[in-house]
Amino acid sequence: MANPMEQFSVETIKPLTLAGYDVSFTNSSLWMLIAIAAISVFLFVGTAKPQLVPGRWQAATEYLYDFVRKMLDENVGPEGRRFAPLIFSIFIFVLACNLLGLIPWIGAFTPTSHVTVTFGLAMIVFVTVCVVGIWRHGFHFLSLFWPHDANIFLGAFVFVIEFLSFLTRPFTLAIRLFANMTAGHVLLKVFGTFVVALGSFGALPYVFGILPLAVNVALTALEILIAVVQAYVFALLASLYLNDAINLH
Amino acid sequence: MPQFDFAHVFWPQLAWLAISFALLYFGVVRLTLPKLGKVMDARDNKIAGDIAEAKAAKANADAIDARYHADMAMSRDEARNAIALAKAAAAKSTEARLAVAAQQAEAEIAAAEARIAEAVTKAEGTLRDAAAESAADIVAKLTGKQPKPDAAQAAVAALV
Repeated sequence: MANPMEQFSVETIKPLTLAGYDVSFTNSSLWMLIAIAAISVFLFVGTAKPQLVPGRWQAATEYLYDFVRKMLDENVGPEGRRFAPLIFSIFIFVLACNLLGLIPWIGAFTPTSHVTVTFGLAMIVFVTVCVVGIWRHGFHFLSLFWPHDANIFLGAFVFVIEFLSFLTRPFTLAIRLFANMTAGHVLLKVFGTFVVALGSFGALPYVFGILPLAVNVALTALEILIAVVQAYVFALLASLYLNDAINLH
Repeated sequence: MPQFDFAHVFWPQLAWLAISFALLYFGVVRLTLPKLGKVMDARDNKIAGDIAEAKAAKANADAIDARYHADMAMSRDEARNAIALAKAAAAKSTEARLAVAAQQAEAEIAAAEARIAEAVTKAEGTLRDAAAESAADIVAKLTGKQPKPDAAQAAVAALV
């Protein structure tokens, strides 16, 4: 019986090292590149000949881009438009990894089920937020953590809490996505093993496997939903953090 | 969990994430989305422009409509005034003509009456003469004596 954790194991395809670090090409790298390939097909076809009256591909790409732009308009304001390409990249990368990882049979790997990958993405957001905040506001960026109209002691207390919560942002962002993806995939695999185990009941074969199979079908639908929702949540939180950096409350 | 086997999964994944994301951001998104954004902005501007144009056209049409209605109302008033004037003029001229006709008729009536009176007088004169003559004849036959014409006349005048 396959271990439900086996699907997360990173298999080295081509061992590589760079300056003493292990940077081997793995199945995780492969699926990131597959995600990039899928995204580039989607985007390059969709924007090959942009027209005022869009075709189907263009309408699909515009739909996603407009979604990100609106999210930034609502949560950041007019200044947020400049970050639309970055937030869009994060959103579509997470979305593509989440969705491609759900494909059964072909041994798909979900890079976003690895906390390393989600942490890397979260750090992109975190570093961007810090750089933008300091570049725009300089030392004044620290006032983000200072409560309005509070006395010095309460203010200092809140400042510490706010600062720590700011520092934990990349971790919560990373762990939320990683945990959602991992839990979903484990659940799918567990019910998959139920299908096999119950379906091979000797006296009455197949019959008892139907129920866990039905559950798995429903779970797959739920996982697709979660794949989209988590990509959205990641992008939404990224834009909210950007809003902090740009507008300081 | 393989996810926490950081010795094996950390650097390879982080390195390839960096490569992939750089590829995605600089090689795909930066090359495609600005084009798309330009078209979307152009479309938004075009739609906004078209709506503004349509609004202006509607305002223009409304103004023309209002002017048309005002003109119509004015023409109607003018026509009504003209009709009233014409009616008054017609009434006046009819009255004048009626008055002239009435005067004429009165004059004719008066002339006719005068003629009638004259005829009556003449007829009366003739009648009286005839009566006097008859009376003279009757007297002559009865008495054999011709009365004086004046006496017969006087007798008739006394009777009639």
